[in-house]
Amino acid sequence: MNRSLVILLGALALCAALLGGSYAVSRHVCQRCMSKSVSDLDWLQQEFHLSDAELARIQKLHEGYLPKCAEMCAEIAAKKSELETALNGTTNVSPVAQQKLAELAALRAQCQAQMLQHFTEVSQTMPPEQGRRYLAEMQRLTLGLHEQTESSMSGSAGHEHHQH
Amino acid sequence: MNKENINPDPGSAEAGDVKLGALLRTSRVSPELPPRFQEGVWRRIEEADAPVKSTGSIAWLDALAALVLRPRLALATAAVLMVAGALLGVRTGSQVAHQDAQARYLAAVAPNSLR
Repeated sequence: MNRSLVILLGALALCAALLGGSYAVSRHVCQRCMSKSVSDLDWLQQEFHLSDAELARIQKLHEGYLPKCAEMCAEIAAKKSELETALNGTTNVSPVAQQKLAELAALRAQCQAQMLQHFTEVSQTMPPEQGRRYLAEMQRLTLGLHEQTESSMSGSAGHEHHQH
Repeated sequence: MNKENINPDPGSAEAGDVKLGALLRTSRVSPELPPRFQEGVWRRIEEADAPVKSTGSIAWLDALAALVLRPRLALATAAVLMVAGALLGVRTGSQVAHQDAQARYLAAVAPNSLR
């Protein structure tokens, strides 16, 4: 093989190794350093440029909300267990199972309403512009997934649902 | 005793050499030079003096290889690549860390069963 070609290919390989190596190392170090001492609310402070006072108010709301959320989650988990028991071994949806489904949906709706209420309270402790952005972002992140799923299912061929 | 003179007369010997030389010159066959012989000789001398030129892509590769092997350029390129890689890595790392932090907040306030 031509000597010049070997030199050029070697130089290219070295360049790629240098670029890739420095990229991987710095990415790993940066990610580790930034994830080292983060609490649940660090993202809020970074993303919405909150002051320490605003963050302290949100922290208080957050700590008040978490036990309620955990309680609702436990209720939902218990209701799901009841539903599974009602569905177990049956080939059709029994009235009991329908009842459990309705109760589960009601619990989920209640939990979602409580969650949205919390988002609203948090947004009100932020500066108005940031609060609006926070609320929109949280609604998109927590409720948007259902819309995506529904739209993807209604658009798929051979599996169309009619709008109710 | 009468010695025989074995050496001829020096003067007659020189005259004989001259005659012999003239005879040899006339008898030597000198071939005719091919047409434009002198021009061809000069051309070949010029070609021998000129540096060897490579052709086409090989010349391009050789020039590039020579450029790559320059120490200053190689060091500068390595430094630029390392800095660029580090900057890209920091950028991506901070984005990933940001996404992780967002996911942690969402997991706290909106459990998967609600999303």
